[in-house]
Amino acid sequence: MREFDFLEPATVAEASRMLAGLGDDARIFAGGTALMLAMRQRMLAPTHLVSLAGIEALRGIDFDAARGLRIGALARHCDVAASPLVRRHFPVLASMAARVANPQVRNQGTLGGNLCYGDPSTDPPGCLLALDARVLVASARGERELPLEAFLVDYFQTALEPDELLVEIRVPPMAPGSEGVYTRFLRTAAEHRPLASVALVAQRDGLLCHTARIAVGASTPIPTRVRRAEAFLEGRTMDASAVAQAAAIVAADIEPVSDARGDADFRRRMVEVVAGRTMGELFGIDIDNTEPEGACA
Amino acid sequence: MSEHRIECTVNGEPVAVDRVPSRRLLSDFLRDDLHLTGTKRGCETGICGACSVRVDGEVVKSCLMLAVQVRGRDVQTVEGLARGEALHPLQESFMQCGGLQCGYCTPGFLMASCAMLETNPSPSADEVRHGLNGNLCRCTGYTQIVESVLDAAEKMRHGN
Repeated sequence: MREFDFLEPATVAEASRMLAGLGDDARIFAGGTALMLAMRQRMLAPTHLVSLAGIEALRGIDFDAARGLRIGALARHCDVAASPLVRRHFPVLASMAARVANPQVRNQGTLGGNLCYGDPSTDPPGCLLALDARVLVASARGERELPLEAFLVDYFQTALEPDELLVEIRVPPMAPGSEGVYTRFLRTAAEHRPLASVALVAQRDGLLCHTARIAVGASTPIPTRVRRAEAFLEGRTMDASAVAQAAAIVAADIEPVSDARGDADFRRRMVEVVAGRTMGELFGIDIDNTEPEGACA
Repeated sequence: MSEHRIECTVNGEPVAVDRVPSRRLLSDFLRDDLHLTGTKRGCETGICGACSVRVDGEVVKSCLMLAVQVRGRDVQTVEGLARGEALHPLQESFMQCGGLQCGYCTPGFLMASCAMLETNPSPSADEVRHGLNGNLCRCTGYTQIVESVLDAAEKMRHGN
């Protein structure tokens, strides 16, 4: 790792001015788990790291019945997993956070850092997309709120301007009668990065689905809402056949990436399997288990 | 490039080191500056967990952390497990149950196990496997490691 200066601003505005002045020579340092790997591989060689650890405004997890959940960008995955507020009001989010990577990385990596890095092969972005999350970003020039879908622009690319920071993640309250399930597929049980993930948040009466949000993650350059499958579910009384049809729509409507971890056809097939399992679990439907076995966790 | 004075607590003792460069990893700080070589450098890419230590009680990978991040904090390494000549129950159990062969991964497994048992003193075998999934062992096949941790958990519940 090349040498760098370690800068420690105390406010968002101060950090923003540092970033504006340094341009591409600076990188934001939150938990560091991803950035340090990129620096060690010399994929990035910043001359300055702007550490956010001293900015109190980026900390904390709060809940308000009207506005929903606020997660400070510096909340770590372990904080999200253990938060009584998250566990009570968004159990699917706590359950997802408890599965990210491994215990050490959950104790070090932050939710804000995860979203800003834009790595598709991780758990949080897809789950947050299905929860209709929004993000607050800020600079010395002011702040703006945008949907997560608009924040995640492309593979390792976000809507952050060079002088902007992610301040907090906002999750609206879940509608009465709605619940969420997050399922992922790992090629082996020892792998820490999902090959495919599906998050589903649905409002239902028993088998009757009123509304649904489905997001595919880890298999596409950025997590993707599958609106045709959502429309298929809405107003439908679910059974195993409906689950299979909806899973087929999910698989058909994504543009999977092909890389060393899995080609597009394999990923598409696994997304279909995971989508079926996710819907089966949420609606309590036994689905046909003749599909390929996989290490779902 | 910037240098820092690092003041922190390591295994209960206050330490202070001047002129530590920003880029010094916590693993290198422990091994090269403090000569605590129990913490191992393995993959140095956050995969293997051999460098696991505890910071403020939580297990972390010290190759993914900068030394500047532990200023003012409490670090525990494998050297801090035993009390004088008395080994920690986890160390006893790893020896008795064959939880190690070459031993390179052991400090990391001990620190991860120690942190896990503090939050979950009565884990199931499955919970042990999940709690240790940030650590790799290329010798044992893991079965004896899980047995070691369960054995130690039982000893610790009975106050040994």
